[in-house]
Amino acid sequence: MTRYLSIRLLLTLITFWVIVTLVFFLLRLAPGGPFDGERRLPPEVEQNLRVAYNLDQPLPRQYLNYLSMLGHGDLGPSFKQKDFSVAELVISGLPVSLAVGVMALLIALTGGIALGTWAGLNTGTKTDLLIMGTANIGLAVPAIVVAPLLALVFAVWLGWLPAGGIGGPQYFLLPAAALSLPFVAAIARLTRGSVAETLQEPHITTAMAKGLPRRRIIRYHVLPIALLPVLSYIGPAAAALLTGSVVVEQIFELPGIGRYFVQAALNRDYTLVMGVVIVYAAFILLFNLLVDVCYARLDPRIRLRS
Amino acid sequence: MAVSSKRIDFNRTPLRRRVIASAIVIFWVCASAASVAQPDTVLRLGNPGEPQTLDPHRYNLRLEETLLTDLFMGLTTFAADGSTIPGVASSWQVSDDGLRWTFKLRPDLIWSDGQPLTADDFVFAYRRLQAPATAASLAYFMYPLKNAAAVNAGKMPGAALGVSAPDPRTLILELEQPYPHLLETLLYPTAYPLPRHAIEAHGDNWVKAENWVSNGAYRLQEWRPQAYVQLTANPHYDPAPAITEVFYYPLANEQTAYNRYRAGEVDAIATFPSGELAYAKRELSTDLRSSVQLSIMYLVFNTRVEPFSDPRVREALAMMMQPEVLTDKVQRSGNLASRSFVPAMVSDYEPVPGPQYQLSLPERLSRGKMLLAEAGYSASRPLEITLRYISGGETKRTALAIAAFWKPLGVKTQLHQAELKVHFADLRQGDFQVAQAGWIGENNAEHYLSLLISDTGDVNYGGFADNQFDALMAAARQEADLAERNRLLRLADERAVGLYPVVPMYSLGVRRLVNPKLRGWQNTPRDVHPVRFLSLEP
Repeated sequence: MTRYLSIRLLLTLITFWVIVTLVFFLLRLAPGGPFDGERRLPPEVEQNLRVAYNLDQPLPRQYLNYLSMLGHGDLGPSFKQKDFSVAELVISGLPVSLAVGVMALLIALTGGIALGTWAGLNTGTKTDLLIMGTANIGLAVPAIVVAPLLALVFAVWLGWLPAGGIGGPQYFLLPAAALSLPFVAAIARLTRGSVAETLQEPHITTAMAKGLPRRRIIRYHVLPIALLPVLSYIGPAAAALLTGSVVVEQIFELPGIGRYFVQAALNRDYTLVMGVVIVYAAFILLFNLLVDVCYARLDPRIRLRS
Repeated sequence: MAVSSKRIDFNRTPLRRRVIASAIVIFWVCASAASVAQPDTVLRLGNPGEPQTLDPHRYNLRLEETLLTDLFMGLTTFAADGSTIPGVASSWQVSDDGLRWTFKLRPDLIWSDGQPLTADDFVFAYRRLQAPATAASLAYFMYPLKNAAAVNAGKMPGAALGVSAPDPRTLILELEQPYPHLLETLLYPTAYPLPRHAIEAHGDNWVKAENWVSNGAYRLQEWRPQAYVQLTANPHYDPAPAITEVFYYPLANEQTAYNRYRAGEVDAIATFPSGELAYAKRELSTDLRSSVQLSIMYLVFNTRVEPFSDPRVREALAMMMQPEVLTDKVQRSGNLASRSFVPAMVSDYEPVPGPQYQLSLPERLSRGKMLLAEAGYSASRPLEITLRYISGGETKRTALAIAAFWKPLGVKTQLHQAELKVHFADLRQGDFQVAQAGWIGENNAEHYLSLLISDTGDVNYGGFADNQFDALMAAARQEADLAERNRLLRLADERAVGLYPVVPMYSLGVRRLVNPKLRGWQNTPRDVHPVRFLSLEP
């Protein structure tokens, strides 16, 4: 197990380095630089800026500088957000992105499991058709469409929830809902199939024959088995939700790191893009690692093979 | 035997009712929390994006200027109507040759931390602005100061800069050349005094809220990145402003800004989707404040390369421009058609319209066809060009309309879009044929015309070079008398428009929504609204 873990850890670190390197060079390949704009910059001024941000050095040198900085746990200064360091920005934005992600995950799990179970217990009925039809739409319609609709209905028309910004927990509800919809749909589909399948099992027939109450059968005999596929889906879903809030953060003006990502990319704010990519990569790699470790614990064949 | 799942009636379980009940409770709690009443000395404003800095020497954006105008005050300042009035200077004198300006500061000036503000703080600030280590991207705003460019390039020491303080209340500015627009230049953050004591104590961290010191009506209370910048009244500012607290929200997304305004979460927003203009005119007429900004959007021809090195081709295409059709039929977003390169709102200056507009549209068409035929283009050898535009709905529709204007000439236009950064990077490198460009500038004609001087550098995107135009501009820049200066500028303007290096299109419209309870808000050509002049009706 230790051997397996250390190999996985090493592979994760290599992947991380490849990502950092790729993004570093891709960013610099993109046309335009951090100091381009509509306004005129005299050559002296542009040179002053380049020196201030070490951009006057050759590219390989810049790359090594960055790696060494990263090795010391320093994400560097932001090129554009001049009053904050990248680390300060990430520390201020990450909790917001995490809060939206966790809330969306909770909505996806509760909503998806409830709807999926309901549909699975009623396969072939109109209820099933309605739920699964809606779920298909939920899967197909992206957050960029759902989010403005939610804002229009619940904030502008009904005035129940804020249209954007940050404050108490109510500010997270609409973004989390918009973010979770495709995941509610996916989990509902998984649960439905799995519940319908479990109902065919002989031990359920036995339980029915024994005359157990229906709620008891669902709670203790159907769901624990039916939810196994959902559990294995949580890993990738959590990574996707925690890093996937870029669009909803834009639409609801939430101060999470997803917003920095888009703006920094458009501004060619090299260090800030790198910082956000590093955080995202760390999350995705971490969740993958956790899933691998869990599988290895559950399935001896995996750890023996390595 | 398989059990039919239909027999288990999940619908009857009370669980569903519990879920619905708790959902209602959650909504009720949220709804009541969302509508907490605000006291009416707190103003909530939408800014069109997140500021990148609040250091007056490192700023680069209009939306930062908005905040800095509330935080600092220079020698001159904006009045409520946007005009220039004395700021911390009580009076000034100009030498006869226009090269030496002597400012007298108001007595008893103090910073927000109670320290005295002296002429030395100006000297410190102006030297810091030009110091190469500051890397101020707008340092050139103050290049009219003597030796400023040389100091900025590191060729001269900071002490050589044309600024001095013979006593704590007197500031002397020496200029490179006469510059009658100096009082306007002094409005901008690059000319503010800076708290020397705070910067020397905290270094680059002086901009953090806990170290903040400024001399305007407000000081920085808190900056939560991407969430808000909170300003509170400067206790040492006299007279005390009616609004004691301001929240600036970065509302980069126009639709969200519009939603938040309509939901009553902000008192004013800087812009909203142009598609909502008709609705706003109908339903929000008391909130809508439309105005036109000092700006010019234009087409620029790359005069370095074929086919636009030929003035006949430029003139032929310029013949077909119809600015009013663009603004009133295609865009309908409040932009103002412009037939001149210098915007009509520039004061003390009569703009020069393009000579093509003396002809009727059919006359222009036949002249355009004639010019193209002379230049060697025909139905069998049509003029094929690529028009570059900045990504965006309105800019795209504009580009399509322009291509349609040119079609009757037999011109085949390809469209090429790029996001703003890439677009201007290409333009600066001269990598284009004809492109949309824009300039949001100051209230003087020289600012716009200098874009066409041959040694202006890469913002003369098209590489236009004309000796006679350059000579007229150089003569104007030597002139200290404003009227004579403007007369020479107008001659230069007339010379340039006849050669068609650019085709002016329109000035940008501003679509604001402002809470009708907000008093003191005026439409101003520079679109500035200092908060110290505002108040909220209960």
